[in-house]
Amino acid sequence: MSAGAQPHLNHRPRQRGLAALAALLVLLFCAGTGLAGPRPVEVSVLMPAPFADATAPLVAAFNRDHRDLQIAVTRGPLDTEALSDLAISSLLLGDTPYDLLLMDVTWTPKYAAAGWLEPLEPLLGADALAGMAPGAQLGNAFAGHLWRLPLVADMGLIYWRTDLMRVPPRTLQELRDSAAQLEGRGVVPWGYVWQGRQYEGLSCVFLEVLRGFGGHWLRPGEEHEPALDSPEAIAAARWLAGLVRSGITPEAVANVSEADALQIFGAGEAAFMRNWPYAWAELQKPGSAVAGRVGVVSLGDGTQGSWGLSMLKGSAHPQQAAAVMRWFTGEASSRELAERYGYTPVWQSLLNDPQLQQQLPLLPVLRQALASTALRPLTPVYAQLSDVLQRQLSALITGSGSPEAAMAEAQRQSQLILQAAGPVA
Amino acid sequence: MSRTSLPLLLAALGWSLMPLLWQLLTSLRTAEALVLQGAGAWLQGWTLDNYRLVLQGDPPFWRYLLNSSLVGAASTGLTLLLAIPAAYGLQRQRPALRGALSLALLAAAMFPYVLLFLALLELARALGWGNQLLALALPYAGLSLPLAVLLLRAAFADLPEELEDAARLEGLNLWQRLRRVLLPLLAPAIASTAILVFLFSWNEYPIALTWISRADLLTLPVAMARIAGSSVYAVPYGAFAAATVLGALPLLALVLVFQRQIVSGLTQGAVKG
Amino acid sequence: MTLLLLLPALALAAAVFLWPLLRYGWLSLQAHSVLTALVPVPNGGANWQRLLADGRFWQDAAQTLRFAGLSVGLELLLGLSLALLLHRPLPRRGLVRAVVLLPWALPTTVMALGWRWILNDPFGPLNGLLRSLGLPAYGFLSEPRSTWLFTVLADVWKTTPFVALLLLAGLQAIPAELEEALRLEGANAWQRLQRLTLPLLAPYMLLAALFRLAQALGVFDLIQVLTGGGPASSTESLALYAYLNAMRFLDFGYAATVMLGMFALVLGLSALVLVGQAMRRRWAAAGLTP
Repeated sequence: MSAGAQPHLNHRPRQRGLAALAALLVLLFCAGTGLAGPRPVEVSVLMPAPFADATAPLVAAFNRDHRDLQIAVTRGPLDTEALSDLAISSLLLGDTPYDLLLMDVTWTPKYAAAGWLEPLEPLLGADALAGMAPGAQLGNAFAGHLWRLPLVADMGLIYWRTDLMRVPPRTLQELRDSAAQLEGRGVVPWGYVWQGRQYEGLSCVFLEVLRGFGGHWLRPGEEHEPALDSPEAIAAARWLAGLVRSGITPEAVANVSEADALQIFGAGEAAFMRNWPYAWAELQKPGSAVAGRVGVVSLGDGTQGSWGLSMLKGSAHPQQAAAVMRWFTGEASSRELAERYGYTPVWQSLLNDPQLQQQLPLLPVLRQALASTALRPLTPVYAQLSDVLQRQLSALITGSGSPEAAMAEAQRQSQLILQAAGPVA
Repeated sequence: MSRTSLPLLLAALGWSLMPLLWQLLTSLRTAEALVLQGAGAWLQGWTLDNYRLVLQGDPPFWRYLLNSSLVGAASTGLTLLLAIPAAYGLQRQRPALRGALSLALLAAAMFPYVLLFLALLELARALGWGNQLLALALPYAGLSLPLAVLLLRAAFADLPEELEDAARLEGLNLWQRLRRVLLPLLAPAIASTAILVFLFSWNEYPIALTWISRADLLTLPVAMARIAGSSVYAVPYGAFAAATVLGALPLLALVLVFQRQIVSGLTQGAVKG
Repeated sequence: MTLLLLLPALALAAAVFLWPLLRYGWLSLQAHSVLTALVPVPNGGANWQRLLADGRFWQDAAQTLRFAGLSVGLELLLGLSLALLLHRPLPRRGLVRAVVLLPWALPTTVMALGWRWILNDPFGPLNGLLRSLGLPAYGFLSEPRSTWLFTVLADVWKTTPFVALLLLAGLQAIPAELEEALRLEGANAWQRLQRLTLPLLAPYMLLAALFRLAQALGVFDLIQVLTGGGPASSTESLALYAYLNAMRFLDFGYAATVMLGMFALVLGLSALVLVGQAMRRRWAAAGLTP
C-alpha cells in the first residue's frame, strides 16, 4: 500500500466515531422526549379469534381517539374450549397478562369460584345491567356479585324452509309432525337437524326440548337438586331419541356440531335446523343453496348462549379496564357490531330500534326470543353436570338404553356432583 | 423392479398421499362447493380465497413458519449440545449403571408428554418464561433428550474402540477426539436425531399454546388453531386445508433433503440396548 | 469424569420429567379443585380410592388399551410391509421415502381435522365414494360400535411411517450374504422371511412396539379433535379424561391422580412386554422354541 493511503485510513475511524456519537445523542433525545410524556395505559383483552376480528375496527377507532388509554386485543383460538384452556393456563398461577376476558356464559361461576374474577359492582355500580334485555341479563351474577357484562346474547333458534311450508311450527309437536311429513315424503333427507355430537351443544339442544316439555334441569328454588328424573325430563329425552329412531333425524346426527348442521341445512338437505343466530347471515351468502328461502322462529325458551367481558383479578388498572368494558358493551359499540356483523344486541333499546330492524331482518325474532331464555345451571360444577348429561344423551341417541334409565342415571350422577359441591354451588 | 413391487409401491404412495391430496383439493374449494354432490359438482366452486385468507392474516403466515423454524433450530441445537456428550458419557459407564440409566431414559421417552404440560406451565410462570420463543426450546429439548441420548449412545456403541484409542494415543484431548474423529463418523445418526427433534418441536401444540400468547410469536400449530371462521361455531375446513398444505411444504422439503440421513442414521444402531 | 458429561442432559430431563411426576404425586394426595377455591387441602388417599372405584376410569382404560393394541398391531404389520417394500431397489427411492415419511411429519391436530372432513357423513369423500359405488353412506364417526376403528385408522396413517423407518433400519442391518445363502438353498420369499428376516428383526420390532404402545396409550389430541370422546363416550381415552378433569372441571387433585394412574398403566404394560420378551428368549435359549 502506498504511503499516501495511510492518513486517509486514519481519518475513517474518527469520522465513524463522531457519527456514532451523534446518532447516540439523537437517539437519547428521542427516547427522552418519549419518556417525558406519560405512557398510555394498556388494557389487554383476550377473546376468541372471530370476535377479535369483528371488533378490530372498533378497537382501532378507540385507540385513535384515546391517547392515554389503549386497548390491546389478543386473538385467542377459534375453538371455545381451547380459549378456555388458554385462559385457565394463564390464570392458574396468578400472574396473568390479561385484564379482560371474553367469556362464555357457562364459565362465570367456575371462574368466580376459583377466585379469578373481580366483582364488578364496586366499579360499575349495581345497575350496570339496567336497560338490557331480560334474557341477556341472565348468567352474569352469581353468589351475590356481578361478574361479567354481556357483549352478545345468543339463543337457540329454529330455522325453517320457507319454500317447503307456509307457516313455521309453533310447538315442538308441530315441528316434529312437519319434519316427519317432509322427510317421509322424501322431500329432504333430514327432517330436522340439530347438534347431537357428544359435546356442550347437545346439552343446549336438550335444555330447549326440556323447557318445551315444561321441565327443568335443576329444581327451581332448590339449586342443589337436579330434576332430570322428572316425567318432563324423561319425555324430553324420549322425544329427542324418538327423532332418531323414527328416521326424522338420521343417525349421523351423533357427530353433528353447529358447523355440520349449518352445512347440511345450507345445502338444502334439511327442512328444519336448530342453531344460533349467526347461521342466518351464513345462509344468506351468495353460495348458499337456500339463500332467501330461510325463516327463523323461536319456539319458546331457547338456551341462552351469551359472551361477555369479565375483569380478571389482579388487573393492574381496574378503573381503566372497567371503562373499556363499559365502552365495549355500550350501546354505540353494540349497534356497530349488530349493523356490521349481525351480532345480537343485548340492549333493549337496540332490539326495539326500527332503523336497526331494517338492516337486521332477524331483529324481531331476536327480541321476542330474548324476552325469555333458558339458562344453563349457574354452578361452578356445571361442566361436570353437562358432561354427565351429554354422556347419557349420546348413548340414548345412538340407540342404547331407554329414556327412563338414561335420565335416572343422569339424575343419580348429578346428585352426587352437586352434593360434593355443597354450599359453593 | 419385480412384478409385485409396482402395484404395492403405488398402493403405499397412495395410502400416504391420499389424505394430503384431499386436503389440497379441499383448500381450493369454496365452503359451498364442499357440500355439492353429483357429477357437475367438480366444474364449479374453485377458488384461491382460502390461501388468500391464510396468507393475508396479520401477522403474515411466513411469520409463523419463521417462529417454528427458530424454535425448532434452537431445540435441535440445545438437544444435540446436551445429548452428544451425555451419550458419550453414558457409553463409557459401567454396564450396570449404563443399563439402569438407559432404562430410566427409555421410561421417560415413552411417557405421554401431554400429561406434563400443566406442571411445566407452573415452571414457566415461576421462571418468567412466558411469551419468549427461545424459552420454548428448553422444554422441547428436555422432552427430546431421552430419545436423543438413547439413539446417539447406540451410535457411539457402534464405533470401534480402536479408533478412539488411536486418537487418544496421538495426544488429542476429549474435545478434539469428539470433534475430529467421532462426530464426523456419527454424522448420519446426528442428522436423524436432529430431524426427529426438529419435527417434534415443529408439531408440538399444548406447551406452545400455553407458553406463548402474543400473536407475532406463535408457532405454526398454535397459529393454525386461530384461523377463524365467521363465528365461534364455524369450522373453516377450506382455510385449515390451505394452512395444512402451506405448512406441509417446508416439511416436505426438509424430509426430501434429509431422508437419506434419517434412514441411514437409524440404521447405524437405533436398537442397541 | 465421564459422569460429568451426563449431568447437564440428565438435569434437564429430570426437570422436565421428574418434577411433574413428583408434583402430580403430591397433588394426588390433595383436594385441589374449584370447590376448594383452588386451595390445596390434604385429603389422604381419597383421590386414589375414588380412582379405584371410578368406572369411567376403567372404561377409558379398556378403550385406550383397545385403541393402542389394534393401532400398534396394525402399524407393525403395515410398517413391516412398507419396510420390506422400501428395502427393495426402487426408482426414485429418495422421493418415495420422503412421500412415505410425510404423514408422520404433519401435526396431529391439523390432520385430525382433515380426517374429520374425510369421514364426514354425508359430505365427506369416503361417503361420496360409497355412494358412487351404490352403497349407503356410513356414519364413520357416529356409530358407537365402530367409531374407534376409524380413530385407529387416523392414528395408523400418521405413525406407520415411523415404524416402517425403524424396521427398515433393522432390515438394512441384515447381512446380504445370509439372504443370498438362503436363496441358494432354495428357500422362497416367505420362508426367507420366516427363518431369517423376522428373527433378526425381532429386537427392532420390540422397540417399535414399546415406543408406539406407550405413545398410543397417551393418545389425546387425535381423539379430542376427531370425536371429542364420543359417540356415547366410546372413544374417550385416559389422557382425554385426565385433561377434562384438569381443564374443564378444574379438579386438579383428581386429574393428577388419573395421570399417575395412567402412567402406572403404561409402565406396567411395558414391563409386561419386556418380561414376556425376556422369558421367550430364555425359553428359546433353553431349546423350547414353539
